[in-house]
Amino acid sequence: WKKEEFRNCNQTPFCKRARARKPGFCSLIALDVSISDGDLTAKLVPKTPDNEQDPDQIKPLILALSAYQDGILRLRIDEDPSLGPPKKRFEVPDVIVPEFASKKLWLQRVSTAKIDGDAAPSSIVYLSDGYEAVVRHDPFEVYVREKSNGNRVISLNSHGLFDFEQLRAKREGEDWEERFRTHTDTRPYGPQSISFDVSFYSADFVYGIPEHASSHALKPTRGPGVEDSEPYRLFNLDVFEYIHDSPFGIYGSIPFMISHGKSRGTSGFFWLNAAEMQIDVMATGWADAESEIALPSEKSRIDTLWMSEAGIVDAFFFMGPGPKDVVRQYTSVTGTPAMPQLFATAYHQCRWNYRDEEDVEHVDSKFDELNIPYDVLWLDIEHTDGKRYFTWDRTLFPHPEEMQGKLAAKGRHMVTIVDPHIKRDDSYHVHKEATQKGYYVKDAGGSDYDGWCWPGSSSYPDILSPEIRSWWADMFSIENYVGSTPSLYIWNDMNEPSVFNGPEVTMPRDALHYGGVEHRELHNAYGYYFHMATADGLVKRGDGKDRPFVLSRAIFAGTQRHGAVWTGDNSAEWDHLRVSVPMILTLGITGISFSGADVGGFFGNPEPELLVRWYQLGAYYPFFRAHAHHDTKRREPWLFGERNTELIRDAIHVRYMLLPYFYTLFREANTSGVPVVRPLWMEFPSEEATFSNDEAFMVGNSIIVQGIYTERAKHASVYLPGKESWYDLRTGTAYKGGRTHKLGVSEDSIPAFQRAGTIISRKDRFRRSSTQMVNDPYTLVIALNSSQAAEGELYVDDGKSFEFEHGAYIHRRFVFADGKLTSVNLATTSPGKSRFSSESVVERIVLLGHAPGPKSALNEATNQKVDIELGPLWLQWGRGSSVLTIRKPGVRIGDDWTIKIL
Amino acid sequence: SPVAVRSVSASLKDPFIGIAPEDEKYYKTSSDLIKCKDGSKKFSKAQLNDDFCDCPDGTDEPGTSACPAGKFYCRNAGHAPLFLYSSRVNDGICDCCDGSDEYDGKVKCPNTCWEAGKVARDKLKKKIATYQEGVTLRKQEVERAKLGLAKDEAELSKLKDEEKILKGLVQQLKERKEEIEKAEEKERLQKEKEEKERKEAEEKANKEENKAEQEANPDNTAAVENTDSEEKPTDSMHDDEIGLLEDSSSYQDVAKDNDEPAAEVENSDTPGSEGSLVNEVEQPAAEAKEESAVSPDSGSKGNDVSENTEGLSKEELGRLVASRWTGENTAKQTEEVDATKDNDHEEMPGGTHGEESDGYASETDNDNGRYDDDNDDVEDEVDEDFREEDHDESSSSYNFDSEIESDLSDITTPSNPSWLEKIQKTVQNVLRAVNLFQTPVNQSEAAHVRKEYDESSAKLSKIESRISSLSQKLKHDFGPEKEFYSFYGRCFEGKENKYVYKVCPYKQASQEEGHTTTRLGRWNKFEDAYRVMIFSNGDKCWNGPDRSLKVKLRCGLQNEVADVDEPSRCEYVALLSTPALCLEEKLKELQHKLELMNKEQPQNHDEL
Repeated sequence: WKKEEFRNCNQTPFCKRARARKPGFCSLIALDVSISDGDLTAKLVPKTPDNEQDPDQIKPLILALSAYQDGILRLRIDEDPSLGPPKKRFEVPDVIVPEFASKKLWLQRVSTAKIDGDAAPSSIVYLSDGYEAVVRHDPFEVYVREKSNGNRVISLNSHGLFDFEQLRAKREGEDWEERFRTHTDTRPYGPQSISFDVSFYSADFVYGIPEHASSHALKPTRGPGVEDSEPYRLFNLDVFEYIHDSPFGIYGSIPFMISHGKSRGTSGFFWLNAAEMQIDVMATGWADAESEIALPSEKSRIDTLWMSEAGIVDAFFFMGPGPKDVVRQYTSVTGTPAMPQLFATAYHQCRWNYRDEEDVEHVDSKFDELNIPYDVLWLDIEHTDGKRYFTWDRTLFPHPEEMQGKLAAKGRHMVTIVDPHIKRDDSYHVHKEATQKGYYVKDAGGSDYDGWCWPGSSSYPDILSPEIRSWWADMFSIENYVGSTPSLYIWNDMNEPSVFNGPEVTMPRDALHYGGVEHRELHNAYGYYFHMATADGLVKRGDGKDRPFVLSRAIFAGTQRHGAVWTGDNSAEWDHLRVSVPMILTLGITGISFSGADVGGFFGNPEPELLVRWYQLGAYYPFFRAHAHHDTKRREPWLFGERNTELIRDAIHVRYMLLPYFYTLFREANTSGVPVVRPLWMEFPSEEATFSNDEAFMVGNSIIVQGIYTERAKHASVYLPGKESWYDLRTGTAYKGGRTHKLGVSEDSIPAFQRAGTIISRKDRFRRSSTQMVNDPYTLVIALNSSQAAEGELYVDDGKSFEFEHGAYIHRRFVFADGKLTSVNLATTSPGKSRFSSESVVERIVLLGHAPGPKSALNEATNQKVDIELGPLWLQWGRGSSVLTIRKPGVRIGDDWTIKIL
Repeated sequence: SPVAVRSVSASLKDPFIGIAPEDEKYYKTSSDLIKCKDGSKKFSKAQLNDDFCDCPDGTDEPGTSACPAGKFYCRNAGHAPLFLYSSRVNDGICDCCDGSDEYDGKVKCPNTCWEAGKVARDKLKKKIATYQEGVTLRKQEVERAKLGLAKDEAELSKLKDEEKILKGLVQQLKERKEEIEKAEEKERLQKEKEEKERKEAEEKANKEENKAEQEANPDNTAAVENTDSEEKPTDSMHDDEIGLLEDSSSYQDVAKDNDEPAAEVENSDTPGSEGSLVNEVEQPAAEAKEESAVSPDSGSKGNDVSENTEGLSKEELGRLVASRWTGENTAKQTEEVDATKDNDHEEMPGGTHGEESDGYASETDNDNGRYDDDNDDVEDEVDEDFREEDHDESSSSYNFDSEIESDLSDITTPSNPSWLEKIQKTVQNVLRAVNLFQTPVNQSEAAHVRKEYDESSAKLSKIESRISSLSQKLKHDFGPEKEFYSFYGRCFEGKENKYVYKVCPYKQASQEEGHTTTRLGRWNKFEDAYRVMIFSNGDKCWNGPDRSLKVKLRCGLQNEVADVDEPSRCEYVALLSTPALCLEEKLKELQHKLELMNKEQPQNHDEL
């Protein structure tokens, strides 16, 4: 972590300016409020035109408010294109899903009223679901309130910190250049930043705005009690050895914040803007300290300040009112997570670097020898011929197809790395073509931008252009990517983009993209487009029949549609293990469900205990991959003695056993946006004890997991939320909910519990990889609640194609009530739809929390009696526990059936 | 409508599938209940292989995948029988060469046992042949080692005796020499006295002589003595001289550092940490200071070390930043084209490896009968031990300390056994000859004594050093049968691409490229029951641990180093084939294995 290499707010003029403003700074008022094209529109002009001010600065801004179904309000503010600004400001394309447009509600009428003793009137439009949007004219303010009681939900510019630097001609003697260290940003268009305050009402905490290595509930960065903090920075950067508790920007940026409070619930705010952003979270009472004209400070309001270097205001207010509602609303704008292939949800083995074919073969065979399942083996940059992506170092990898074939024969897959920096080598076909076609990002002078990365001198495809994205996608065809096979998938690293000799290790802000867009305007989305193009390439390769798998390091709003992400180059330290949880939780609630941290820690050598604990936690990450830096000691699971091998194998087995449950959750995310791994408050929104708990997390709605984050821990305090009990995942022991339990901890496992009232589907046979588990039978674990009832879902499809989109899937709901377990179909079927069927049966039904005694059960469909006996909850720890088990109930997973306890 | 659920067990033709022949009795009992082997519970015959796990240890499901802890036995007639993890049963992948693990009809597995068995048997036969020859060689080696050790011990005790005698002689000569010197001193003083008296007489005769002149002489002598014994420099001349000396010695240090490029970078990366460095080296620190003036935040964190990026070209900056991840020395690299993350691939062995080369991981060694799902584990094993055949890399061995031996040849060669007697005689003669005091001392006699003294003490010190090196040698662990005795003082070389690896047991191991030598480690010890040699504390790796080398020993007919690899950064692994590892018990084991394999061959080969 080289702090001095990155700009802080004070070294970033737009941030410094915005942060220095006092409440009430904004003098804009709203004029000409009317309805046009279903939107509420208005002009924003200074209240008292200052003749000394530059006339460019007093041009009216255009405001438009649009309402959408399901409690979404969109606010756009931009310069008036009819007044001839020097340049069109950048609006981020291809992030909002096309379907979103169809959800627009056409506003019909606007009413005017004076509210709360204001001197000037406000314009009010009714949205939906009992919400109203209010535009106060003077001073200009926009907010959403509940129609019934007038309670505010979210507001913008309530503190008058709104500022919009309009593009203008350079004044004589004015210096627009900005210098940082040895770099000069020419800033040919001068200042163009935007900033404003956003307030969340009835809020106890705010969350979101990844990516930062910091707590899940966002700590205030300004105001009483806050020592000198930077704002949360959103600027995609390749930060060497990032530290575990910092608001500084790392690889990804999602300008989406969620507030949650006990009294009302949840709301969200998303600013679609890809330029550098800085966000302050104010501590309660900040405004009192800064100005006396501010709103009366309200205990349950959280104020935030949003600052961006460029772009326009294109902001979304999400009304909630529940946590899952906000996530659904947000993902209806930016898209829900893609449905991954089944293999991608299993365990991934990676290292920088698996060196050659022999190494690959050895590692692969070692997993088999030790009966440890894994699904994917990864190759880092060294597999290429001199860091020329899409090529192979033929000395090390003379037979790549054969190598992939050998893995594929065991149902395993391979991932190779493809980064955006293209080696400037005339004999390299990608470079030659990109140069000839003019496909590279240009420097400020208009030449192909030349930066430095792994291959040395490199250029970067201008992936903003759809044409260039399509060209890039074609690279991944089997013909073009020589040595690739259909079982090969891709990893996009360094796509922030990382430029070793660029300012802040990235591309200069004055570099130029397609359509004259400056890099500063789209920086945070560069990696997003790259990820998108790569994923599109894999879809094209598979003729639209094979779901892509692409892992990306850079992140932007919408990334969830294109693949998985990981939290970058973490370190083999307990603190990094600890912070991986809030990082993943935050990514999850901002749409990015499929994420994980490098198990073991990228930099440094983990002690075996840390490595084991990391595997035990990582087994519950949505994306479960071990990875290591090439200077570290080898750390494949078998290198730390038999006992540790066993512990790591157990941890990996846990994941494989729970794959049906995970896959069901991935489908839930795919349909609703609700993440696979969730903060406790998302499942227990009215329980304050959960709001800032980021040591524990929920996997779906049924399992709670808490990591062990310290060395030689003997005990752990685990808060189990809710009124119902929780059953230890391994032993079946019940614990009361709504309290903190001090539990003894062994090296065997980390605390994990199933919530009473839920049913989890498992597969208990451990194969080489998930591929061989497809036809394996299921175990259903029923954790009964206090009313002796439970329910759960299972989703199954072919695990790889897009046929599920046409109905080819099994979706069951299992309901246990009145001593009967029933399997109900949730899949909507209609004629002509694709079908999916499975031969798999249910081999075992486990009942937790059932009164002892029953000896048999009846399959009502066949009228067959089956045995109930005492059996182990988990087979491999068989002797430890005895739980009520329905033995071989004789039902298929995809059928309707009822089993009655006799 | 009710659907008949097809269970895997329905397709089970043989209820006893997956059970090893020696185990059949256990299951084919007359009682209806069978115990789980771990004693945890009992299951009925109907529950045997019914695709539901009743015994946690898998006793009831030897033929299905129902129990995670289960083992499946395949007979593999024609090859070797095999136990599989039960998770391999009906997983769509053919594991047993007889195909018996895939019986649910989803895949068809051809029976390949005959071919695979033949290959395995041939390999095993070859391996046995090597072992047979190797065992003989090893026996000879052990015999030689016994003789060699006995010889060393005999020599040592002889040398110790000689040392004792010689010490006495030297002592005598020394005493005599001192007596002579005493006598000589006495003579000298006598002479001086006489001279003085003569001079005094002369002085008396020449009273006119200047007194000052007389006194000046002793003064001058004192001055000279003073200068010699003075500890502190007394004038500026001295200061300069000392300063120069110090400077030149620190230059040497710097030059040494420069030999190790890694150290150089480290220095420039941590300005100020080496306080005593000369100006040139301190420069980066000075520049870093300048930089921190520019950037107010630099250096505010304890661990932060600001690099000097000011004044770097774009390319240099790129390399510098890249080097954080790669740990490469950027300064050294500026002329190279690639900013590669590392140059491992250049260090890598090329395509010269055999396919089943075992690489580096110790766990690949299946010799200890560990469970293995690979049906060709015999093959692997064979290959591990058969390195010498497919090695075209040059490999050689030689003695590293032959000079020591030759140096001592004059005193240790058997052709010259009576040297000590001769010396004794000579000394006696000398001592006798000068026994009587003569005045003046007989100069030729005195010279003789001195010469004898010098020669004898030189011999003594040679003997002492030989004693010390022999005792050092004998302290080493040469293995349970001293089979590694001949390794002492020898080096084995292997070539791997551009590198020559030199393994000198009991001493050190190194990697040579042209004239550059990198020490991979100093001799540490044997490990893993004398199957591994450990060399540790080699040269430091930049951004990594000290280098180390693990040499795995395999039975082979010659001592040869092969397959040097670097599985983890700066942790090397090599293979050394040697007859010392050709153990008779292992040979018997292999022969037994071959017998079993031959027995397993189908009598009638028609079915194939």
